[in-house]
Amino acid sequence: MEIAASRMTDQAFPIMNADILAEEHARLHARPVDRKTVGSPFVKNPRMTCRNVDVFYGEKQAINKVSIDVGQNQVLAMIGPSGCGKSTFLRCLNRMNDTVSSCRVEGKVCLDGIDIYGPAIDVVPLRARVGMVFQKPNPFPKSIYDNVAYGPRIHGLTRDKNELDEIVQTSLVKAGLWEEVKDRLREPGTGLSGGQQQRLCIARAIAVSPEVILMDEPCSALDPIATARVEELIAELRAQYAIVIVTHAMQQASRVSQRTAYFHLGDLIEVGPTEKIFTNPGHKLTEDYITGRFG
Amino acid sequence: MIYPSIIPCILVLAAGVYLLGLRRAEKVAALSGGLREMHSLPTHYGVFAALCCALPALFLLAIWMVSEEKIVTHMISGNLPAEYLKLPANKLSLVINEVKNIAFGGFTATSGNPAIEQAAAAYVAHLHATRNIVSIVVLFCCIVPAWFSLRSITKDLRARNLVEGAARILLIGCAGVAILTTIGIVFSVLFESLRFFQSVPLADFLFGLKWSPQIAMRADQAGSSGAFGAVPVFIGTFLIAAIAMMVAIPIGLLSAIYLSEYAGASFRNWAKPTLEILAGIPTVVYGFFAALTVAPLIRDIGTVLGLTVSSESALAAGLIMGIMIIPFVSSLSDDVIHAVPQSMRDGSLALGATRFETISNVIIPAALPGIVGSILLAVSRAVGETMIVVMAAGLSANLSFNPLTAVTTVTVQIVTLLVGDQEFDSPKTLAAFALGLLLFVFTLVLNFIALRVVRRYREHYE
Repeated sequence: MEIAASRMTDQAFPIMNADILAEEHARLHARPVDRKTVGSPFVKNPRMTCRNVDVFYGEKQAINKVSIDVGQNQVLAMIGPSGCGKSTFLRCLNRMNDTVSSCRVEGKVCLDGIDIYGPAIDVVPLRARVGMVFQKPNPFPKSIYDNVAYGPRIHGLTRDKNELDEIVQTSLVKAGLWEEVKDRLREPGTGLSGGQQQRLCIARAIAVSPEVILMDEPCSALDPIATARVEELIAELRAQYAIVIVTHAMQQASRVSQRTAYFHLGDLIEVGPTEKIFTNPGHKLTEDYITGRFG
Repeated sequence: MIYPSIIPCILVLAAGVYLLGLRRAEKVAALSGGLREMHSLPTHYGVFAALCCALPALFLLAIWMVSEEKIVTHMISGNLPAEYLKLPANKLSLVINEVKNIAFGGFTATSGNPAIEQAAAAYVAHLHATRNIVSIVVLFCCIVPAWFSLRSITKDLRARNLVEGAARILLIGCAGVAILTTIGIVFSVLFESLRFFQSVPLADFLFGLKWSPQIAMRADQAGSSGAFGAVPVFIGTFLIAAIAMMVAIPIGLLSAIYLSEYAGASFRNWAKPTLEILAGIPTVVYGFFAALTVAPLIRDIGTVLGLTVSSESALAAGLIMGIMIIPFVSSLSDDVIHAVPQSMRDGSLALGATRFETISNVIIPAALPGIVGSILLAVSRAVGETMIVVMAAGLSANLSFNPLTAVTTVTVQIVTLLVGDQEFDSPKTLAAFALGLLLFVFTLVLNFIALRVVRRYREHYE
């Protein structure tokens, strides 16, 4: 029962946090602020398009009319104070919010022009196309090899052992982990260090050849050296995938991303090229956040 | 005569000493600059003084209670008439028993013997005298340490740590009682079994194929040769336990998966306790359900299908036993499945796995040790279950793997061997201990193997 309770609080956490922050915000910004998104939320030839997306947890609205595009071969960073809805929004993009029963998504989220919340869409192949890396490394309690082979196996991507071996190797090479683990593929993935575990999770996500990779604060549980390694990896992966990364660290956003979106209490405040957001923000709230006045 | 109320006396004294300790601590605190200057809280000093008061006295009293009878007996046995003292040891103990019976006003076989009457009176007198002395000594052991402990209360006395130490000793004591009891049971069963194996060879017991534990009382009695081959009894046990596990493991495990992974919180909240009610039904109720409803049903179905089914069958007992142990499997498995972190599910779902793929590939392997543990518990329950099999499986020790015949189990045989007036030196009754020992060894080995298996295949999650 104790564990059940902790699982429930995990899910309820963003809502609670949003409450606290809403109070804090009301104190900080007594005058009404303009919540219309400024900057350039749309790109040419987008991979994913989101239009007027609302997300509710029960009665509570967590995301308010967000419209944004995710471009191919780009890293889109989502920043904002805790509880601003950036993780919630990220989880809409591969429908991971479906696992939370109280969560309701409205609006339109399209992958290559097809509404992923449409009736014709099966969530299982969708999640194979839109991969996800979580905040805390969560390798399965299996061997390193089996962790990477998990996706290809359940989707039947390979015909024989050799092909599977090859997928495992290329995924680990792409994730920059191959040299470190090639001699111990049969050892449990949980025995790796935190940074290695996170790269293993990235390898696991790439093994099913996704088109978009979502990363939910992938470095928040890692030390600076492991973080640098994962950031390098994100830069390499950009050549092949569309990447959306949620991060707390503004420096990280400025290092890895081409576009940055600033969320505030469920609103998308500003989107623009990363250097513009960090040097010349177009909105007062963005400026306050990146200059460290709150957050 | 304070002896009968000595324990309440000690407790009242200790309570008083607690209050005195409290008072004294506050006084010391007032003199030395407030409670903040004291090493411990006043309650710690009070508890410390109360423990100093009660513990030595209770300890002494416990020693006295254990040895009282021996000491008093020793005191009177010197005064018995010389003719009794010359008797051999076992006869003498009979006489002394007689004395005690008269002294405690119990049943006596040969009353009216003046020497024994006299000894009984002496026994009572000695008992009272020694008890009075002991009471005084015990109370002395209360008051003296209490006085010293109260005197020792200063601001530097580490009463808090001392109370902590006493709590630790109490915990060790309780753990020790549990362990020592287990060891005691094992050894008593072991020694009785050794006596059994003096009359029946071990090999005959372990590998004999015939179980017929009737021993001839007289040499000329017919048809009671006595055969103590445990194989048919154990085959029966395993047969019924296997049938029970075939029912309980799939139903229990699959319902656990449904409850923890698919069912909504509201359904789970009432379905799980409902399932656990199954474990609360007395086994005797299951027993007559098996014997009166299920066994005839199976027999009738068997007749329709052209099979010969005895009216007491292993199948009926096994099925009902399986139903009974479903909650052991389902409830514990549900808990361990629920304990697998949500991040494992998220990781698998985010790779495009379906719910069932996630369960079978990630959740179950991660929860395996707990699931095996729950199954083990269910197996030991099935092997040790008595009432259902007594009522539904029969008493005849058939060496048979056919679930449609009547078989018997270890527990049933132990019951039948020990029910009624029995003499504890015939192989017939001692066989019960040997069966119990073998059953114990069997479950121990089972646990050991299962632990090894789990250690080999478990998947650790962080």
